[in-house]
Amino acid sequence: MTRWAMVADLERCVGCQTCVAACRHTNATSPAEQWRRVLDIETGSYPNVSRVFVPTGCQHCADPPCMHVCPTTATRQRPDGIVTIDYDLCIGCAYCEVACPYQARFLISEPQYAYGRAMQSEVERFNPDLLGVAHKCTFCVDRVDFGLETGLTPGLDPRATPACVNACIADALHFGDVDDPNSNVSRLLRDYPSFRMHAELSTDPSFHYIYDAASRAPGATSPPEDDHARNRSAQPARQEHWNWKAAGNFVCGGMGAGLFVFAVLASVWDGRMLIAGWPALALIALGLFLVLLKIGRPLRSVYVLRQPQRSWMAREAWLALVLFPVAALGLWFQTPFLLVPAAVLAMAFLYSQAKILSEAKGIPAWREGRVVPLVVATGLAEGSGLFLVAAMLLAPAGVSPELPAIVAVVLAALRSLIWLNYFAALRRGGTPIRTLEILEAFRPWFFAIGLVLPLLLAIAAFLIPAVALPFHAACGLSIALAGAALKFVLVDRAGLNQGVALTIVPSRGGSRPAHSVKPGWSMP
Amino acid sequence: MSTRKAMAGNERTTSTYCYQCVAGPDLLKVRVQDGIATEVAPNLDAAAVHPAGGKACVKAFGLVQKTYNPARVLYPMKRTNPRKGRHEDPGFVRISWDEALALVADKLNEVRAKGLTDEAGYPRVAASFGGGGTPTAYMGTLPAFLSAWGPIDMSFGSGQGVKCYHSEHLYGEFWHRAFTVSPDTPLCEYLVSFGANVEASGGVCGVKRHADARRRGMKRVQIEPHLSVTGACSAEWVPIKPKTDSAFMFAMIHVLLHERPRDRLDLPFLRDRTSSPYLVGPNGYFLRDRSTRKPLVIDKATGKAVPFDAGAQPLLEGSAVVDGIELGADDEVISHTGVKVRPAFAYLVDHVKDYSPEWAESICDVPAATVRRIANEYLDHARVGETIEIEGVTLPLRPVSISLGKTVNNGWGGFECCWARTVLACLIGGLEVPGGTLGTTVRLNRPADNRWSSVKPGDDGFMQYPMNPTSKEEWKSRPQVRSAHRTLVPLVADSPWSQALGPTHLAWKMQGENLDQFPPATPPDVWFVYRTNPAISFWDTDAVSKAMARFPFTVCFAYTHDETNHTADVLLPDCTDLEGLQLLRIGGTKYVEQFWDHQGFALRAPAVPAQGEARDFTWIATELARRTGLLKEYNAAINRGAAGVKLSGKNYDFSLPVDQVHSVEAIWDASCRAASAELTDGAETHGLEWFMEHGFRVKPFPRLQWYLYPKLVQEGLRFELPYQERLHRVGVELGRRLHEQDIHWWDRQLAEYEPFPRWRDLGALWESALARHFKVEIADYPFWLITARSMQYSWGGNVGIQLMKEVADSVAGHGKIVMNRGTAARLGVADGDRLEVRSPLNRTEGQVMLCEGIRPDTLLMIGQFDHWATPFAKDFHAPSMNALMPMLLDLTDATGSSADLVKVKVTRLKDAA
Repeated sequence: MTRWAMVADLERCVGCQTCVAACRHTNATSPAEQWRRVLDIETGSYPNVSRVFVPTGCQHCADPPCMHVCPTTATRQRPDGIVTIDYDLCIGCAYCEVACPYQARFLISEPQYAYGRAMQSEVERFNPDLLGVAHKCTFCVDRVDFGLETGLTPGLDPRATPACVNACIADALHFGDVDDPNSNVSRLLRDYPSFRMHAELSTDPSFHYIYDAASRAPGATSPPEDDHARNRSAQPARQEHWNWKAAGNFVCGGMGAGLFVFAVLASVWDGRMLIAGWPALALIALGLFLVLLKIGRPLRSVYVLRQPQRSWMAREAWLALVLFPVAALGLWFQTPFLLVPAAVLAMAFLYSQAKILSEAKGIPAWREGRVVPLVVATGLAEGSGLFLVAAMLLAPAGVSPELPAIVAVVLAALRSLIWLNYFAALRRGGTPIRTLEILEAFRPWFFAIGLVLPLLLAIAAFLIPAVALPFHAACGLSIALAGAALKFVLVDRAGLNQGVALTIVPSRGGSRPAHSVKPGWSMP
Repeated sequence: MSTRKAMAGNERTTSTYCYQCVAGPDLLKVRVQDGIATEVAPNLDAAAVHPAGGKACVKAFGLVQKTYNPARVLYPMKRTNPRKGRHEDPGFVRISWDEALALVADKLNEVRAKGLTDEAGYPRVAASFGGGGTPTAYMGTLPAFLSAWGPIDMSFGSGQGVKCYHSEHLYGEFWHRAFTVSPDTPLCEYLVSFGANVEASGGVCGVKRHADARRRGMKRVQIEPHLSVTGACSAEWVPIKPKTDSAFMFAMIHVLLHERPRDRLDLPFLRDRTSSPYLVGPNGYFLRDRSTRKPLVIDKATGKAVPFDAGAQPLLEGSAVVDGIELGADDEVISHTGVKVRPAFAYLVDHVKDYSPEWAESICDVPAATVRRIANEYLDHARVGETIEIEGVTLPLRPVSISLGKTVNNGWGGFECCWARTVLACLIGGLEVPGGTLGTTVRLNRPADNRWSSVKPGDDGFMQYPMNPTSKEEWKSRPQVRSAHRTLVPLVADSPWSQALGPTHLAWKMQGENLDQFPPATPPDVWFVYRTNPAISFWDTDAVSKAMARFPFTVCFAYTHDETNHTADVLLPDCTDLEGLQLLRIGGTKYVEQFWDHQGFALRAPAVPAQGEARDFTWIATELARRTGLLKEYNAAINRGAAGVKLSGKNYDFSLPVDQVHSVEAIWDASCRAASAELTDGAETHGLEWFMEHGFRVKPFPRLQWYLYPKLVQEGLRFELPYQERLHRVGVELGRRLHEQDIHWWDRQLAEYEPFPRWRDLGALWESALARHFKVEIADYPFWLITARSMQYSWGGNVGIQLMKEVADSVAGHGKIVMNRGTAARLGVADGDRLEVRSPLNRTEGQVMLCEGIRPDTLLMIGQFDHWATPFAKDFHAPSMNALMPMLLDLTDATGSSADLVKVKVTRLKDAA
């Protein structure tokens, strides 16, 4: 077997960025993206300071999260380990970008030029097929394949070797087959100690960092970085691809699914409540429409259905595709034979949304497993809250909101408990400091609006029957709004990516004790 | 998956080179699709002959954008607004080449008719070219035109003298033919680097050699006020107080001479290859034999004084009572009878007695234990006594070295540091031997293409040196150019490079004020500018800009509009790097770490046609020669080798007929043939077509010639160290000459001509000069402001290239004010705040970047990018220390240079979101 891999020698890299520029030239990337990046990271305190240069980019993981989440099969893996993107299949959903823990993927929707307008050289190489789809380092697969076709050895013959390796002036980058024990890279990995970034995420990356044996001595672990300014390029940054529109899908989808479930449940007691099922479906549709506005290639969005066997985004799409006709027919004919399956589909839809987040391995706040019960619980709580609002609107028809109010408050309380559990898990497991700060800042508001206020309103409604209806509605609205805010904060604001971490900061010719660094994290 | 568009049209590759910085040239390949340059790649065909395997620096990757930059000046233009100045719109309008060249030629012919020098004696024509001579790699045959023209003032610097490794250039050439100095990195095992930022300024060869050395186990200690990229890649960072490096090195000498057994030093080297055993008379000159006038040494066997070359084994220490003479200034003979004298080495031991690590500690703000440890590590790694065979010759192996960076080795203190570094090399026998401290190129001595050839026996067993004369008869009392280099700086010699290595800031300074007893400062009638932007890159940029605005006729070879050509009368668009044609000498030993095992030539073949109406530089030069009636002289200069290669040799003659206009291709075809013949003793005569196809042609260069030591052994010569008798004498003579002219404003500089440099408190010198000149309370300016090289930008003139900005922004500090985090916390400054930085002269502002890798008393600005006219760069809103740097005589050393260093204070302007 063959497994192509990159080896970066941290002892040799001087951070000159020549590989970055060479990649730009070879792959005609736009100024908005760097498939090969070299970071400049400082650790320690004056005067005991280290500064290290870290090449990074797509790690061509053996177990690539980007591929698992891809709904269209655009991202695939070759038998030799190279992770590829089929630009004709990609819909630009950016799920791969939030799934990648190495910030290696880019999505550019508008042409980007060095000087605002295209130069001749940019016109010559402009490729519209690359707009609105995901890009990343390809390990210069064209060169590798050319080499294999012509009997050359990738990594040794420049014509078959990635441009960044050819260009590296410090001979810090090496490329080769790690499955061949006699290859250049296998020898390097035998001769020098090495590590891989974010190894704890079990993605089995094909990007190895070697360093000097003198750095192997066990040493201190860097204290957590509490300064957001330092090592900004290496720190977890807010993911930019899933913005308010994506958050809108989670908000609307969760509320809609929850509301639909409660509408169906309530119809057991009072069939008139089924009417709330229509706005529930509208909400789900609105969420999906917002997604459509966000993706890079909406005209080929149907490709989202291509990979339900692996991708929760594809499953969400399939569930929605089935949910809408079943639920609509159920509501129209008011038959439990369709409404019950529709409610189950709505629950499954809600669950799929939760799983979409939890499978995004690149976002620490999302991949925490407790995000699934949190998203499901808040979806149901929001649904129950909206149901209370609906109940007020239907009140003249004699619908009684007491029981739904109790259910909503109980669900809000349950949601709060799950939130606490989720937050504690984030703290325990280590999380970007900024994520914790954002969630911490949100917490009092969440509890105030999502639990305390609804509880007080519900009690007030119980004690003052004259205003019970509006108070119940306000109680429900408060629960729903808190849930919406939670998901907006979780997706759009606290969705910081993984950042960069080094298991060893090398000493480079010296014997300084080794230490690790994980800028911007609450714990290393 | 592929990002490559399917090719509809044709595709080809062209070989060329990049020489945007002094650490080049790098050999490249340019991919051309449908006639458009799209990619730059290293020329890996040169992997076997190039020291860095044919790799190319990041700057080379900016050349595609440079070619197609929409802001390029693509047509000749002339100024329509006669008023000049920053706030005057030049009103450039497009004209034809014929009109543009006629304008320039008419002005030149007018000058020629008036006389080549003006009433003050200065050349009427001046020219300024960018850093390190790199523009010559792009200006085709312009040097032949300049040679044909006659006297030209090249002393309006754009950074030369104040931004270069100035003391190293002058003293390095003097002591060991080392215009630039480098460790023998492939063999070095321990390197003490005082601010030498080789990972930024050493080019691909430097980076590769040092990366290999690290992997080999070389330990590098980086001593500098901030943690540069080089410090980052070093085993240890020692944050020293700015401009105190000489104290550190003096203390290292102290440790070697006063704390370690004498036999740990390389005594044979000191005895046989330096002036250490020469006896020093009571007046500070060598004590000499009366009849032969040769310096005397004490014969170990007899205890008697004999001439240094009498075959005796001389003592390094001890004393003797001797008869003899001293040769003082102006041929004064001082006779001595029975005078007790000691060898120079003994005086050296005395000289550094008080310079202990404990003494250095408070000056450098570095613990004495650190200084002592580094000195001891230096000695312990020196392997004194060991040898290595190089190409069949057994040479000493001394794998330790000391390198010096900018600001350490220019301005005051540069002499001390260069001297101490070279003496430290001598003490362990590590000068110009494998593993040790080497020179890499020659610019002041001749011939310039080979260090060994430049070694000629001089007086007293030393190498000859083309010092500017200081005798009464020969001293040039009237400056020949506006930097007065031959008048004021004997050491700068008079090679084509010397003008730009004189006190170039004097040339600018004198445009605003006259110096007593000097001819009045006149602006040049015609000023040519190419690949330089002194309005941004020099010091006191306000004053420089105002001075150039007073120049009556300025011709700029223009790439884009910029701050200097804002005052131009004519803009001439030349072919840029990928468009022009030129042959360049490569290999041998060149700048910085360019040590090759090959030498030869590389062609800069046009990868793509010129954009707009840009013209090849050789065509422009030929037209200027034709229109000024200098065609014959111009062609003759080309034949002599002014364009890089002499067109005739022993077995070949490709000389051009001198009375004809030759095409660009014909000139370079002849050059290619001559180059090919030169490399093969006439056996091959490959022309332009062959070079177009192959890119370069080389032959082996003997590694033995990396080292000067074997040449000195061969010639029976010594390094003129540690005692500076000649400089001492020259200094006395220069002082007399100046005083005879009633010139006293250079007196401070005369104090530098010392036999052994004394330590000077440079911090106090800077502070007092600033306080006195600007009448400020210097305590109000608590920070030292320094700068550092950038691989992405230095020398490149590429500030307008988007890709360079993009990649430079990934290297911490670019375009920012770098400040220590603790200091910032004390001042209430947050990362990203905009600060005003004010020196006693001027102010600048920019965004602050906080880090731990800088001294609390120091600020750093990498890149001086306060452009206001250059497209793209004018939007950086970056700070520049250049505007803050005064051109003060008090801060000018004897070599005519000063250092990028000033005291500043900061004020927070506003929080940056």
